[in-house]
Amino acid sequence: MLKYVNTGVVFQEIPDEVTLAINISNCPCHCPGCHSHYLWEDIGLPLDTDAIDAFVAKYGTDITCLSFMGGDADPVGVNQLAQYIHEEYPQFKVAWYSGRLRIPYTVNKADFDYVKVGPYIKHLGGLKSTTTNQRLYKQMDNGQFEDITYRFWRQQSLAV
Amino acid sequence: MEIKNFTITKRDGSKDQFSLDKIMSAIVKAFDSVGEPADLATVSKILSHLDMHDDIKVEDIQNQVEEALMREGFYKVAKSFMLYRQQHTEDRETLQKLQFLSDYVESVNAATGSKFDANANVEHKNIATLIGELPKAGFIRLNRRLLTDRIKKMYGKELANEYLDMLAHHFIYKNDETSLANYCASITMYPWLIGGTIAIGGNSTAPTNLKSFAGGFVNMVFMVSSMLSGACATPEFLMYMNYFIGKEYGKDYWQHPDKQADLSLKQRTIDKIITDYFEQIVYSLNQPTGARNYQAVFWNVAYYDKYYFESIFGEFYFPDGSKPDWDGLSWLQKRFMKWFNQERTKTLLTFPVETMALLVDENGECKDKEWGDFTAEMYSEGHSFFTYMSDNADSLSSCCRLRNEITDNGFSYTLGAGGVSTGSKSVLTINLNRCIQYAVNHKKDYLEYLGSVIDLCHKVQLAYNENLKELQDHGMLPLFDAGYINISRQYLTIGINGLVEAAEFMGLKITPNDEYKKFVQGVLGLIEKYNRQYRTKDVMFNCEMIPAENVGVKHAKWDREDGYFVPRDCYNSYFYVVEDDSLSVIDKFKLHGTPYIEHLTGGSALHMNLDEHLSKEQYLHLLKVAAKEGCNYFTFNIPNTVCNECGHIDKRYLKECPHCHSKNVDYMTRIIGYLKRVSNFSQARQEEAARRYYAHAE
Repeated sequence: MLKYVNTGVVFQEIPDEVTLAINISNCPCHCPGCHSHYLWEDIGLPLDTDAIDAFVAKYGTDITCLSFMGGDADPVGVNQLAQYIHEEYPQFKVAWYSGRLRIPYTVNKADFDYVKVGPYIKHLGGLKSTTTNQRLYKQMDNGQFEDITYRFWRQQSLAV
Repeated sequence: MEIKNFTITKRDGSKDQFSLDKIMSAIVKAFDSVGEPADLATVSKILSHLDMHDDIKVEDIQNQVEEALMREGFYKVAKSFMLYRQQHTEDRETLQKLQFLSDYVESVNAATGSKFDANANVEHKNIATLIGELPKAGFIRLNRRLLTDRIKKMYGKELANEYLDMLAHHFIYKNDETSLANYCASITMYPWLIGGTIAIGGNSTAPTNLKSFAGGFVNMVFMVSSMLSGACATPEFLMYMNYFIGKEYGKDYWQHPDKQADLSLKQRTIDKIITDYFEQIVYSLNQPTGARNYQAVFWNVAYYDKYYFESIFGEFYFPDGSKPDWDGLSWLQKRFMKWFNQERTKTLLTFPVETMALLVDENGECKDKEWGDFTAEMYSEGHSFFTYMSDNADSLSSCCRLRNEITDNGFSYTLGAGGVSTGSKSVLTINLNRCIQYAVNHKKDYLEYLGSVIDLCHKVQLAYNENLKELQDHGMLPLFDAGYINISRQYLTIGINGLVEAAEFMGLKITPNDEYKKFVQGVLGLIEKYNRQYRTKDVMFNCEMIPAENVGVKHAKWDREDGYFVPRDCYNSYFYVVEDDSLSVIDKFKLHGTPYIEHLTGGSALHMNLDEHLSKEQYLHLLKVAAKEGCNYFTFNIPNTVCNECGHIDKRYLKECPHCHSKNVDYMTRIIGYLKRVSNFSQARQEEAARRYYAHAE
């Protein structure tokens, strides 16, 4: 059963979207140097379709995207919720921040608009580091996933 | 009189051993000074009238000595004694000023050194700023006297005393008491366009070409600002400039800005000539000004989308009979914003404060898509400016927070466009936290008690208005007489401070929730009720959440000293708690949305603090969110980094200079309406800035 600890409206995680990030607990990845240690325990509130309905009721069209932060202990659960959002609330994009190296075959990638993969490896850095091992993919109109990790690097030199 | 071993209280509050010798010697000196003999019997007789008690104040002893001298018939001696006291009082005042002078000279910056009315717009402290500081205490006394004399005449002595009492106990605060001038104004430049500055005491005739426009404009803004204590907005600046550029290079100049327009060796293009004028005007107006205690003038400008432009200038005619040209103005507005954003990477330029006016449809989409897109584009390029959004062009904001209900969109051949003229004559602020706590602690209904405070504020403001009218009757306010400011379009403003803190005292959570909303509407609705009640065809009132550059700090300090609940060192000037990291960006828009701001008829600006710049798409979406929530006035505030070592300016919020890698960096941010270096704000405000929560992505 998926559980989440808190949510937040974020801008940097998914380029060009106003995203509600849902921080999921019971993370199995346990990356050394993890920034979100508090998500290792199996704590928080149930993350089910009722919770999704409540988020949508609260934020409405103020957000453009919902992102699952973690949930690697139950990838199929995450997939089901992504499917639910696309069916019930087609106006929203759905993103998944996974700590795994790749998305498991049991998951239908097409249910996500954005997918981030890769554990956090300290010396390689996070998405903003040009040496990072992590990747963010965006599903394009033709259904193909394109690597848009470079968008995090461009921010480093603000065009003026 | 019985001599006991007791203490007296000196003027500075310290205690000292009572000394009969000192009193005797003072009396003998007074006798000597007028050549009258002072024998022991006489002195003893005078001493016998004195009534001493423990901790008696020096002033009380001296008062008793005066009375005793007169009772014994020594009138000349008494007079001499009084004169002696007066002289010492004056000496002490001079001494205090000397002390202030040396403190000021040693303080870290001008805002911290300022004793009264600290202002961050003074960049450096020096002899000129010191000269501005010294008479401030005198101005406060003078202003209070002028006002209380008028209140006495209009409403009786009791109300005048009540006013002074409320001021002394910090239930209310009179803003800008250190200046004699009325507060701020958004002016129409039409009188200048047709008559130059002669009507306001200058010597220049009407501008006739681009060069005389640019030079004359700077002088005119300096002149106008020296007759105001606050901001001066020129919402027509770029529209007039466009007119003069058109006269010089043709109305279609913007279609070929790269064309050479200069026979000098520099071979300057039209674009270069225009941006050179931008440079001349902006740099001139950012200079410290002699007539304003070395502060820069608080210059504001406005940008319009096509719909606002048509609504405000649709009926406008220039003296040559032509009408303003939207295509040229649209180009020029964009050019100015791009230029200004770029220029701010070279120099710290605070002025002009810019406001973009956008009209939105019922779905929250910008009606003028081109300008909605451009607004988002400029934010994403790191430019810092305000946006004013409305679903109806019946209101506008052209000053850093002042909202203007446009009742007159007409054009007059003497006054120009009616819609741009507005302002505030005077601000009187209610310390809501103290008022509400006082009422609750004394088992009173807080709204009822607040009602009595608000009522008093309105009467005081009407008294101020009478004083202003008298000044005008004597020809002291040429800005009004010459038509730069329309007195009937000027508001008397009720300011508020400590709203969030009062709500916290009432046990409310500062989030978008029904109880907090009800509280806000109750308090602000009450102020609006009085604003309407006191409105006549000659006077209008509005209500504004004041930015409280220093009042917020003072109120927190005073209230804490007097035992009130004070949750932070500086009262908020927003509907949310600045250091609260649990509120999302969306929550903040909600808290500055329609239900909260609808009674703030004078405006409040949401400063959306972010630690990183967003993309154009994200800003576009947030514009929609703002429109949907009804948050009509806001800016995005991302601290810019300034390197103290190499001077490099970066639009991002960085811990290290990307150029020389020094960690000795400072930040430019909007703490109040103005974008300034954090280190130029007063010490207390800097601490508040450090506590602020900049929403970030983790």
